[in-house]
Amino acid sequence: MSWLDSTVHRALVEAVLVGALGGVVGVFVVARRLPFFTMALTHATFPGIVIAALLGVNLYLGGGLFGLLVVAAVLAFGRGRGQDFSTATGIALSGGFALGVVLVSAQDGFTKDLAAYTVGDVLAVGTGDLVATAAVAVGVLLLLALVGKELLLAAFDPVGAAALGLPTVLLDFALLAVVEVTVVATVPALGTILAVALIVGPAATARLLTDRLAPLFPIAAAIGVGCALAGVWVSTRWNVATGASIALFVGLVFGAVFLGTAVRGRVRRAVARRVAVRA
Amino acid sequence: MMFFEPFQLPFMARALVELVLLGALAGTVGVLVLLRRLAFVSDTLTHTVFPGVVIGHLMAGDGGIFWGALAAGVVTAVLLTLLTHRRRVSEDAALAMLLTTLFAVGVVVVSRQTGFTSDLTAFLFGRVLTVTETQLAQTAVVTVVVVALLAVLRRPLLLRAFDPEGARAAGVRVGLLDLVLNVAVALVVVAAVKAVGTILVIALLVVPAAAARGLSDRLVVIVPLACLVGASAGWLGLVVSYEASVGYGVRLASGATVVLVLVAMYGLAHVAGFVRRKVGLSRARSAIVESAA
Repeated sequence: MSWLDSTVHRALVEAVLVGALGGVVGVFVVARRLPFFTMALTHATFPGIVIAALLGVNLYLGGGLFGLLVVAAVLAFGRGRGQDFSTATGIALSGGFALGVVLVSAQDGFTKDLAAYTVGDVLAVGTGDLVATAAVAVGVLLLLALVGKELLLAAFDPVGAAALGLPTVLLDFALLAVVEVTVVATVPALGTILAVALIVGPAATARLLTDRLAPLFPIAAAIGVGCALAGVWVSTRWNVATGASIALFVGLVFGAVFLGTAVRGRVRRAVARRVAVRA
Repeated sequence: MMFFEPFQLPFMARALVELVLLGALAGTVGVLVLLRRLAFVSDTLTHTVFPGVVIGHLMAGDGGIFWGALAAGVVTAVLLTLLTHRRRVSEDAALAMLLTTLFAVGVVVVSRQTGFTSDLTAFLFGRVLTVTETQLAQTAVVTVVVVALLAVLRRPLLLRAFDPEGARAAGVRVGLLDLVLNVAVALVVVAAVKAVGTILVIALLVVPAAAARGLSDRLVVIVPLACLVGASAGWLGLVVSYEASVGYGVRLASGATVVLVLVAMYGLAHVAGFVRRKVGLSRARSAIVESAA
């Protein structure tokens, strides 16, 4: 009887891993304005997973390979005349997801699979899923520790990065690949919507709290882990969908911080004005 | 005739009317979605009407769905317009937060009910084959209202799309105009979501306009072309899904088949546009060579 035999304990470990991973990767996603792309990836890896399940190969492998295909398609179509990145992303999103649905609808057990895929079930993660998530987390964090500085430079100042002789195309691809791997690792266990919430939410909240770059990563990771743990706790306590309650916590924290900073900004401006009047 | 025969069944005929109406409606609104790059906004709206659908259903049964969705759609449109006016949060981060949070509210409420998975699936993919005449009437009314609204406001809307600074200088109230367009997209989503599901709505809003844009550079051509692409993809998708299930015993979800037909049309339009430009270029080049010689 090991500690990991309990479903709740496994869910807690997965929540911590995904919360930290999502928070750190999210800083890059928010800085590069990739939330919609992330959303599209979560939907578009679906047919890959279905095909992998039909062929009996590894689900992560199928989702990952298909995701790469989608990345290539978005980049290719987004360059067309009169088209743009956001339109191409929308098309990849709906097209990829529809392909998955058509493939699934030809099978039996249609509705159950699909709902699990959309909202996920973190209480159903096995030890194998935990190992996969942990491996991805370690790999992604190592990569970010190695080239994080270059990636951020390319995010904020692409021209400057190119002038410094950095391989910007390679860096872009590396970033998209990191996002893709994160999505592929988290979606089977957590569902498409929750994956987006955990990647974008903590980073966007951290961005509200600080203007400096270095604290963004620990703040985002802490918010991610905190929300994930709170969500698992609430869902086991009151029997609501786990993924959704985690996403709800992320949203509540973001909303509270948004209102808080808005009020703080207004108070500061009022104080500054009064000081100016007195002077 | 393979292309007309399925529609002698009343439920197939109703599905066809619904999809053609929605194709035309979404094609028109989709051109503005394309010009303003609102693909993510549309995606967000498709997900955020979900809690409205769920709560409306809980409070008033089937009749409450439309009004619940409408309320949620309008609330989202207002929140969206407000959130994106603050500079600290980038627009797409704000959208992602709205999308996931409101969708999560819906899922939490649904997960307390029984029949959880089948409700969620119906919402994601709709049940186009069970469209009722009341829903058809609702869709028709929404189509007329939205198209009339866009026709009246077309000048300021286009000015805002191409030159926001110029529009502001010309005295156009940009914030209000953005709200109107967001509400129009929300109306399309509300009209369509019960019948065809979220994924098909986003496809209908994004793909036909993008395909039409690939074929032409002129707005007068793009709008009717987008309507045509949307409507004919609905028709073709229904035919394919019907033939596959009746003729070959392969069940294909009808909504998703329509999306795949749309994407295929987009691919063809992309190739056609590419060829057309290549031909135009080489013709221009040979004309220059001739005039030089």
